[in-house]
Amino acid sequence: MAHVVVENLSKIYERGKVRALWNVNFSVEKGEFLVLIGLSGSGKSTLLRCINRLVEPTSGRVFLNGLELTRLSPRAMRRVRRRIGMIFQQFNLVKRATVLQNVLAGRLGYTSTLPSLLGWFPKRDIQRAKECLERVGLLDKMYVRADQLSGGQQQRVGIARALMQEPELLLADEPVSALDPATSHSVMQYIEQINKEDGVTVIASLHFLSLARRYGQRILALRAGEVVFDGPPEAIDDRKFKEIYGEEAEEVEIR
Amino acid sequence: MKLLRARALAFLLDLLVWAYLLYSGFTLYYLSALWSPWRPEEKLVWPALSPWAWAVVLVGLGEAVLLTQAFGPSLGQRLMGVHLVAEDGAPPKLAARLAYFGFSHLALATLGLGSVLHPQRPWHERWAGVRLEPLPPPSSAVRRPPWYRTAYGLTALLVALATLAVGWRLTEVDLRRLVYDASKSLRIWYGLIGPDFRYLLAPDPRIKLSLVDGLVQSLYMALLATVAGTVAAFPLSFLGARNVAARHPVGWAIYALTRGFFNVVRSVETVFWAAIFAIWLGWGPFAGATALFVHTVAALGKLFSEQVEHIDPGPVEAVTATGANLLQVVRYAVVPQVLPQYLAFAIYRWDINLRMAVVVALVGGGGIGRHLFEYKDDLRWSLVGAVILLFMLTVWVMDYLSGWIREKIV
Repeated sequence: MAHVVVENLSKIYERGKVRALWNVNFSVEKGEFLVLIGLSGSGKSTLLRCINRLVEPTSGRVFLNGLELTRLSPRAMRRVRRRIGMIFQQFNLVKRATVLQNVLAGRLGYTSTLPSLLGWFPKRDIQRAKECLERVGLLDKMYVRADQLSGGQQQRVGIARALMQEPELLLADEPVSALDPATSHSVMQYIEQINKEDGVTVIASLHFLSLARRYGQRILALRAGEVVFDGPPEAIDDRKFKEIYGEEAEEVEIR
Repeated sequence: MKLLRARALAFLLDLLVWAYLLYSGFTLYYLSALWSPWRPEEKLVWPALSPWAWAVVLVGLGEAVLLTQAFGPSLGQRLMGVHLVAEDGAPPKLAARLAYFGFSHLALATLGLGSVLHPQRPWHERWAGVRLEPLPPPSSAVRRPPWYRTAYGLTALLVALATLAVGWRLTEVDLRRLVYDASKSLRIWYGLIGPDFRYLLAPDPRIKLSLVDGLVQSLYMALLATVAGTVAAFPLSFLGARNVAARHPVGWAIYALTRGFFNVVRSVETVFWAAIFAIWLGWGPFAGATALFVHTVAALGKLFSEQVEHIDPGPVEAVTATGANLLQVVRYAVVPQVLPQYLAFAIYRWDINLRMAVVVALVGGGGIGRHLFEYKDDLRWSLVGAVILLFMLTVWVMDYLSGWIREKIV
């Protein structure tokens, strides 16, 4: 059984009547690294957010381990979200809070409400936060305010926050678009490591095809909300490329 | 549909504008017929016009509206963002405008039937060879005429001048009195220059409190009201924030109720609340502090809610994605973003409350304001001077302190 299954997924934004996703079908095996590509506005972000239901799909179904997520109550959905990590283009850290507080926020789904409102986390969660920070090489920044870090460091805090959830699935929404090329590779390597070593399934949207080719085991291309390609990176030739990005586009290499 | 709405609202707006100008004209005419300045005991009576005269006035009103619209854009058209253009998109020629002016009478006579049947381009616009179009955005290449060469600019100028003139007369502004009657206030200024500090520490025999006692009472009233008000406004502010509360119908109702509460309570001035609580709780500082508290909750609640609505939604999304519930999302993604501003607003409110703590004494709120108003009623100006000087000093110190603290926090 596939790990994630998306069936006939559509999302229409009422305001402006924009068809963000149209009849999207695909499935992801456990431990796979799937890369979403497509132009800005092609529906990549919406697709990722429909999987953990930060965005409510208009129609269609999403399964995780055979469980239909699109049918779950809000409370049950919150329980499932605990095992779905997510990292964002703009990192989405609380800038005034310390790195440690940001990382601990990844544990909120497992913490009962009252202690967490008072800021109390179990000892082992704090221990775990330290381990996660060590893994992304930021243990020495634990008590630094998040806005004091560079972009690459902030995204690594984002990864540590996702790791706190002990995820089985990691959604990455343009994780390196706000970073320079060198930092991009370093961040992508952390994500790759989580995929390879922990066996976490990864679905990541990426801007650059060269990054997608380098890290993706499989590529899914969207154009105007529809799937126009689903296959291995090698299968994207010049003709396919123009179909995805339009006739005007030129492939740019990022090293 | 959009054009129909624009046409109807533009007509109504222009009608309002011209009716307002007419009202202003009549008021000015009437007031200048009386002795200057206007004496309030003489009732403002509108000139008695015969029905025929009224008819002429009303027709004149309608003609003014149609004229400004034909030679527009009129103020109403400008506010609705539309203007008239000829077939080729250029400004209409004089003949077309005159034709439009004439045919508009027919449109008005049929109560806008043509606009309802043909919202895109009713008959009178077709016959005149013009059509209504959205105004080009300010950034477009089309050069707009300067405001003083447009109908809307001149109308707006007229409205502004009329408002100032009527306001000047109704406020009974008389600059001569500022100079001629200045000597009447001399005794007060003497009192302020030569303050009498006899009750600074010794209790006033009637009020039973010294000035310092009253001042300390006022300070604590303001402090208590600010702290309690901030604590109460904190949870309410999240209920009154659209992005946190209004996520489903029930939440939306809570949001609307909270915002409504803020607005209603805020619009009732602190002094009125003090008058209510002085009867409810009896005269004294408790009534004053409660009045300050109530107003503080509403005022801070609104300011806080607006802060919550302006947060970066990214962290909210991220914390929601970890499986946190709404309370946890608020605690970990919203509160850290707004807390410094909350503190700054609370300190700012403490400034306001300190000043208001004096005013509430006017209706029985307690504190140093009671000294102020009693001495003023007795015309004992040197005692008044002592109160004002003491209070000025306190406000200076507090202003400086709160500014310093705010700087350290934000």
